[in-house]
Amino acid sequence: METEMEKALNQVIEVYHKYSTAQGNHHALYKSDLKKLLTTECPQYTKKKTATTWFKQLDINEDGAINFQEFLPLVIKVSLRAHEESHKH
Amino acid sequence: MPGQHSSVDSAVYLLGSECKKMTSEMSLLERSLDTTIKTFHRYSTQEGNLDTLSKKEFKQLVQRELPNFLKNESRNEAAINDIMEDLDTNLDQQLSFEELTMLLARLINASHEKMHEGNHPRGHGHSHGPGLGESGQRH
Repeated sequence: METEMEKALNQVIEVYHKYSTAQGNHHALYKSDLKKLLTTECPQYTKKKTATTWFKQLDINEDGAINFQEFLPLVIKVSLRAHEESHKH
Repeated sequence: MPGQHSSVDSAVYLLGSECKKMTSEMSLLERSLDTTIKTFHRYSTQEGNLDTLSKKEFKQLVQRELPNFLKNESRNEAAINDIMEDLDTNLDQQLSFEELTMLLARLINASHEKMHEGNHPRGHGHSHGPGLGESGQRH
């Protein structure tokens, strides 16, 4: 049986695929997919930059889509922001 | 911010993310990160600096919270210490949330790789087998 924390880590994979399977290659987030993910999942942590800026920064191999590994830096950044927020009241 | 231990401080730390939003209002990603952050604080507040994991706190977190993701390592103290050394990039013998996050990202990636083992393609006909810690079939 997976623990709560392990379940939470697997949920991140679910989040990616919720948007990556919307169109085209199911292992690719196109710009419109990424925009939808940012505005639906974590707008409060990502709104300082436009979806286009995020897309350029995450698309490391510049193939016009965010693959799963390219998605992880976003998860890290949002995690750190969420942790900072958890200490503000 | 991070300081020495007091029970009031611990309570405030643990409540932290709950003050923001009701769980039902959160997105899937927010709920996932909320669980991760709360779990981190449950261990980080046990001793010493309230916002970092000591060697002992990290060991307990690995053994109790990541027994399936780190199946072999969680039973081997030397392996846990190795992971901690690898993550402790500022060499303070403590793991901050930021340092721990690097491990979590690696584990997410490893679980995803496992989901695509065997006959589970990434592109056309995309499908997943069980990830780390999961049994049985997925979507």
